[in-house]
Amino acid sequence: MTKSTEALDEAIKATTIKTGKYLTFALDEEEYGIGILKVKEIIGMMPITSVPRTPDFVKGVINLRGKVIPVIDLRLKFDMGEIPYNERTCIIVVEIDAEDGTILIGIVVDSVSEVLNIQATEIEETPAFGTRLETGYILGMAKTEGSVKILLNIDKVLSTEELTGLEKVSQ
Amino acid sequence: MTYKIIENLVEKLSCDFVLADPKELESLSGLLPLLKQLHIKCMDLSFKDPAKEILKARKIIDALLKGSSTDVDEKMNDLGRLISGLSSAISVLKESEPVPDTNGPEPSGPALEPEPELITYPKADGPDVSRFEPVLEKFSNLIGGFCPGELPDLGALLNNLDELIDMSTGKEFVAFHDVCIACKGYAEDMTLENIYNTKPLEEVLVLLKSLLSHLKRGKVFGFDYADVLELLNLNFEEEKKVKEAGPDKLSPEEKEEVLAIASSTEPVKISDDDMEILIDFVSEALENLDTIEVNLIDLEQDPSNTDIINDIFRPFHTIKGVSGFLSLIKINQLAHATENLLDSARSGDFLINEMATDAVLESVDTLKNLLSLVSQGTETGFMPSDDDIDIEPLRDKLQRLQTALKKGEPLGKILVQKGEISSDSLDQALEIQKKNPDKKLGEILVEEKKAVPKQVAAALMDQTTTKKSVAAQVKVSTDKLDDLVDYAGELVIAQSMLRQKTSKDKSLSQSVAQLGQIVTNMQSIAMSMRMVPIKATFMKMIRLVRDLSRKSGKEIALNMKGEDTEIDRNVVEALYEPMVHMIRNSCDHGIEPASDRKEQGKPSQGSILLRAYHKGGHIIIEIEDDGKGLDKDVILEKAKSSGLITGNEQMTDAQIYDLILQAGFSTAKEITDVSGRGVGMDVVMSGLEKFRGQLNIESTKGKGTKFTISLPLTLAIIDGMLVGVDDEKYVIPTTAIQKAFKPSKQDCFTVEGKGEMVKDRGSLIPVIRLNEIYNSKSTEKSIWDSLVVVVESKDEKRALLIDELLGKDEYVIKSLGANLEDLEGLAGGAILADGRVGLILDIHGIFDLVSKEH
Repeated sequence: MTKSTEALDEAIKATTIKTGKYLTFALDEEEYGIGILKVKEIIGMMPITSVPRTPDFVKGVINLRGKVIPVIDLRLKFDMGEIPYNERTCIIVVEIDAEDGTILIGIVVDSVSEVLNIQATEIEETPAFGTRLETGYILGMAKTEGSVKILLNIDKVLSTEELTGLEKVSQ
Repeated sequence: MTYKIIENLVEKLSCDFVLADPKELESLSGLLPLLKQLHIKCMDLSFKDPAKEILKARKIIDALLKGSSTDVDEKMNDLGRLISGLSSAISVLKESEPVPDTNGPEPSGPALEPEPELITYPKADGPDVSRFEPVLEKFSNLIGGFCPGELPDLGALLNNLDELIDMSTGKEFVAFHDVCIACKGYAEDMTLENIYNTKPLEEVLVLLKSLLSHLKRGKVFGFDYADVLELLNLNFEEEKKVKEAGPDKLSPEEKEEVLAIASSTEPVKISDDDMEILIDFVSEALENLDTIEVNLIDLEQDPSNTDIINDIFRPFHTIKGVSGFLSLIKINQLAHATENLLDSARSGDFLINEMATDAVLESVDTLKNLLSLVSQGTETGFMPSDDDIDIEPLRDKLQRLQTALKKGEPLGKILVQKGEISSDSLDQALEIQKKNPDKKLGEILVEEKKAVPKQVAAALMDQTTTKKSVAAQVKVSTDKLDDLVDYAGELVIAQSMLRQKTSKDKSLSQSVAQLGQIVTNMQSIAMSMRMVPIKATFMKMIRLVRDLSRKSGKEIALNMKGEDTEIDRNVVEALYEPMVHMIRNSCDHGIEPASDRKEQGKPSQGSILLRAYHKGGHIIIEIEDDGKGLDKDVILEKAKSSGLITGNEQMTDAQIYDLILQAGFSTAKEITDVSGRGVGMDVVMSGLEKFRGQLNIESTKGKGTKFTISLPLTLAIIDGMLVGVDDEKYVIPTTAIQKAFKPSKQDCFTVEGKGEMVKDRGSLIPVIRLNEIYNSKSTEKSIWDSLVVVVESKDEKRALLIDELLGKDEYVIKSLGANLEDLEGLAGGAILADGRVGLILDIHGIFDLVSKEH
């Protein structure tokens, strides 16, 4: 296989992977989307036990039917400023890939919107924002019904190294 | 050659005869094929007289089978006499025979067709394998509806077999062809001799089918089908000769072909179907090998115990069978050789001695190596080459042992034990046996009227029967067990919430209370499922000590106490490595050579005692040796030279001994391959600490050393005190808690206005403010307004400042998930009674944290 076909293959793979169903949710005024296959379940707000010596965006841990899972606040992760939790606040439990299998993590979002079918053609490459904004964890931007949805690569957003890596910074 | 075959046949015959139950005459039919074979062989050598005897014996059995004879007992006795007469006649002939007939004309016929051990198929899609299928299908139908003795059925069967034989001419079907021919021979015998046993035919069917499936996949068929052929009256001895030679006996070009295939297809891709079977096989085989090891060592203590031999034999048999099916040729061959040795031991040919145990253990180790290759293969998807592991010398060794080992007298022992014969008459019989070494002990006893055949038969049965003491078990993955524990815990929480809500309704609360009972029971069962006896770990140590004592030439006995003590299976894993290390140390450094021991007035055999027991939520493992003990001066000197201490410290004995747990400390003057590289005890220590364990050393110079390991009974549950600090709730492990009290104002001191201390019974204890190190916002509370909990870790004491004590309970430790589990100062999370998550404090981690920050 020549280099060019390889590159083409990669490109095809990348676009086909992006096509599919996304769960969309709101953070502040912005709309985000996560691939539906990553989502395990959506639960309402529940008491969170805060864990000391972790970065701010790690809200703590919850009891998900006997399993302890960490919860992070996506607002804090994206430096959007904290708001008090209300009845629309949700925890989306996602399954992310780690070195040894998958792990469950809850993410706190303002509200869950809907599940959308997004075609690859509707997805645009992430524009470069320069150093101001890290875009590594953005899959692309989807233009649907007049609004723009930011599609997240949740594995990258919640890389476990980051959980521990940042923890060291905070010490 | 032929003579030897006859000898073997006679032996087998007499053995089978004694085993045959006089009440079940059908069982005698098994003797007929043997007799027939014997007859042919005798005629070949023109042994006229024995041949006549054989015919007589056959007539008797025929008569018995037809039920025409009324006096069964008498006939049986006649038969017994005939058979024993036969064996003595043969041995007489042996002496008269001038030259052993090694090169004489071998009996012709399909029976002696050499069977190459592996048959290789050059092409992946063997030529027209499909055409076999319908014929084989027909064969299987025929056997399914087979009515023994009905000539038309047999005729159809023979035609079918002919068809198969015709089809399978060609180099690539050698095995198939041979089996068919052998089977046809058997079927012909059935027609002529009124044999009703169809079992061999069924075996053949299974064998042919698996051969065919191998052919289809173009794979090497490595399964050892000797036993099937044996069933078919093929001459087993001849077979074995060819087999033992293995691939070497193949003609040069065939051999090259084998090698070419072996190398050209490396690495072999494992198909998905095989993958699953392989994974199962590896895990099962490894488990089997572990039990074999334990049983072997038991067997050394009690070599005549056929139960144990059987327990060792069976797993080898399983491994042999499955590995053949999976074309793991080396494993198959080695298991087969070992099985042969054990089989002879099992049938009472000899007692397993030390050499035999060593050989079998060696075979176990080699099999483990081979299996680890296979398991690597399952991980990578490609079967790695096993060319590096040479099993031939080991196979030779096993083979030689089998022939070299002399016959023991287990049968006689059993008879004496049963009180059927006196030991005097046994001795007499043994005396006779020495003169006539070809005779079986059972026969002599019967002849001399010391025992009736029934008794001997019963004793022989005792030799072979096995008692299954293992209760039925199911394998469950630990993930499922963990989930069960999780859900059981949730159930308890849900139930307690329900109880609170229904406490006002009397009838409801009664039902809820009942539910609570059930839930509690269920939880404790779920927990106990994770517990296993520590015995298996101890047993592994026996093997270790045995090997070490052989290697070092010291005599060491390992004794065990409390091996039934139960322990969480995760803890077992935590224990294994440290125990191996410490036992190695004891053997290598602790126990002196026998000569030194005698000088000191100790028994020449050193002893190591393993003891396990429960103590307050912990399992305690003691490893005690009666060796030379730890030398304090040497330790101090060594520690000083390696810079661990300055030499001016005042140290207690315990502190000095603890020095050997420091990294880079080894007092052994010489480095042996057993231990003494200076990376011993510190590894042990850190290994144990990871599992919240402790290690204690006691030693008396010249008397011995005692290591005491203490580990929590289970890693899943912790006894904890729930405390409230500000709005948070934490669990402090009760083992760490010394006391809790409310200090008065005059008990509190500060150093330079910062370092807070509290006085308790005269000693000053530094105070740790949890909310400070956990940077949660807090209002500075004075010490005397709150409670302090005095906690201890590694002889250090600290007082934790808390707001309230909320009660003591057992908590299931949960990982915090993601990478939060490595957080300093936290041992994990626990689900509290209200369903929320509480954090479990790691006291030692907190101490470290505090000392780092200040």
